[in-house]
Amino acid sequence: MIDKFFNPKSVAVIGASKHPHKIGHVILWNFLRGFKGSVYPVNPNEDRILGLKTYSRVTDIRGNVDLAVIAIPARFVPMVLEDCGKKGVKAAIVVSGGFSEIGRTDLEDEVKEIGEKYNMRIIGPNCIGVFDAYTQVDTLFMPRYRLERPRKGGIGFISQSGAVGSAILDWAATRGFGFSKFISYGNACDVDEVDLLRYLEKDKETKVIGLYIEGTRRGRELYDTMQKITKKKPIIAIKGGKTKAGSKAASSHTGALAGSADVWRAMFKQAGVIEADDIKRMFNYARLLAEQPLPKGNRVGVITNGGGFGVIASDVIEGHNLELASLEKKTINKIKKHVPEYAVVKNPVDLVGDADAQRYEIALDALMDDKNVDIILVLILFQTAGVQSEIIDVIANKSDIKKKPIISFSAGGDFTRLHMRMLEKVGVPSFDSLEDAADAIEKMYLYSRYFDSDE
Amino acid sequence: MGYMDELNLLKSYGIDIARTSFVKMGKGLEKDLVKFDFPFIAKVDTNEPIHKTELKAVKLVENKDDLQEFLKNIRPVEKKYHVNGIVVQEALNGIEVFIGGKRDPQFGQVILFGLGGIFVEIVNDYSIRLCPVSKRDARDMVQEIRGYPLLVGARGMEPVNMKKLVSSIVNASKLMMDENIKELDINPLFANSRYVKAADVRVIR
Repeated sequence: MIDKFFNPKSVAVIGASKHPHKIGHVILWNFLRGFKGSVYPVNPNEDRILGLKTYSRVTDIRGNVDLAVIAIPARFVPMVLEDCGKKGVKAAIVVSGGFSEIGRTDLEDEVKEIGEKYNMRIIGPNCIGVFDAYTQVDTLFMPRYRLERPRKGGIGFISQSGAVGSAILDWAATRGFGFSKFISYGNACDVDEVDLLRYLEKDKETKVIGLYIEGTRRGRELYDTMQKITKKKPIIAIKGGKTKAGSKAASSHTGALAGSADVWRAMFKQAGVIEADDIKRMFNYARLLAEQPLPKGNRVGVITNGGGFGVIASDVIEGHNLELASLEKKTINKIKKHVPEYAVVKNPVDLVGDADAQRYEIALDALMDDKNVDIILVLILFQTAGVQSEIIDVIANKSDIKKKPIISFSAGGDFTRLHMRMLEKVGVPSFDSLEDAADAIEKMYLYSRYFDSDE
Repeated sequence: MGYMDELNLLKSYGIDIARTSFVKMGKGLEKDLVKFDFPFIAKVDTNEPIHKTELKAVKLVENKDDLQEFLKNIRPVEKKYHVNGIVVQEALNGIEVFIGGKRDPQFGQVILFGLGGIFVEIVNDYSIRLCPVSKRDARDMVQEIRGYPLLVGARGMEPVNMKKLVSSIVNASKLMMDENIKELDINPLFANSRYVKAADVRVIR
């Protein structure tokens, strides 16, 4: 039934509004942009909004309603939910705040009971709801010119916090990272992180799950669920609100150790979850795991058009549980034929400053066929005149083969950033820090080892 | 639970324990203690979480003089805390490690492993997992601590019996779950190439 939140045939926007700065207006507008199903605005004071016939109550709508999005003051929410229940709505997103987060647990209990009575699943209250890059279900009440929506991709992102979630979505979209689904679940009166994880486990579009979590009411189930999922797809988590202190009431020495933060960390580790220290790292790991195949080992082959960055790349690789691959003889011979005599062909492969897309292609092909190379890190300095935009296609074509993971690094200003975003959009993770790239590659490698272990 | 009961509980879960006797407090204490063959470890048993080392309430007794000194040392302890009796134990050697357990409010029983004795709190070098743990989890726990090289023979030290160490952790985790233990301290646990034996334990239900 969780599927109705992402794949509804029809949606009622309750609290739809004419006024562009109102939440109910933004949500309705979102649904008119790409969503394929029927859309019904509900507002007792209007006849038409954005050209659509507007209904006084959900029960007045003639057709079926799969999903109700509710953006009205908290005190009216139970009444409207009763209507939804009677109408046979099976999924409701309560965007409105003013419930348990301000002490009104009574009102939240009422919402929960109505959901149970009608067998209707509820996300929220006090959340920003759902964004689905494929079906274009979009309840985020931030206008698109303020919050860019991400492209279709493989990252499913669950966030307890709406603020963290939405800001990150905007940040990630601007960089070209691809998402399958985004869910902010707020107070979790009904649907919680465990339900959503279980849904994303089976979701075909979701290749990697990102989770921002502050607490849980179902610790053991969360652990069991995550442990099961990580055998199939990676989960990357950030735990917000870490308290260091152990239990003060403890009467043994051990009792005073193992504070909540320690236990969360241990739980993630044991469940095979990759813990990220911050949001940037979470997406560094996520885009790599979502777009690229898992490596067979930890030997990295580096291609560059700038010697100095090759040296830095070697240093960071050594510092991260990774190895600099020693290239096969045939690889070196193949590349030597196509580079100037003064070019040093070993790992890192220095294609020198006048390298063009064709030279990159030859080196990429050679490394793809080299048995000693598990991972390919391509350094591209767009400042040199030889590198044309066609290099994006060259790398994208190699990346699409999905034989070995390909990761790129570039550093520079606007021209470079534009190309990094282009790379990102064709599924080649692009980093502006070699340290970040090596950190992400290491996490990918460690996950591949966990994934392969059968114990 | 009495001291011997707690140790025997470990034993029943397959965790080896030091050979141990228990002597009640009373007028004949000295006479009772002299009966044991030297050397042995003598230590105070109390239900309160005291630092036995700090209070000198634990001592390796190799002769009659040592015994006198021990009896002198425990007098102030007796005044301050309720002492149940004196534990007489075979002297063990090896590296001191600890296995702990507690009930976490969100995730239920968890198990801890680290370097034992005074290292637990000073160096804070320990690993945690949710119970029950697999052998693999237990191995990860051992490898995760910073002091791991000490356990596998750093600088010519004797490597500990890893198989027994791992099974002690797995068994302690089983104990936590089956008996629904609230807090557990097995500290110290002496580990060497031949054995892994618990010398002291506290169980809070």
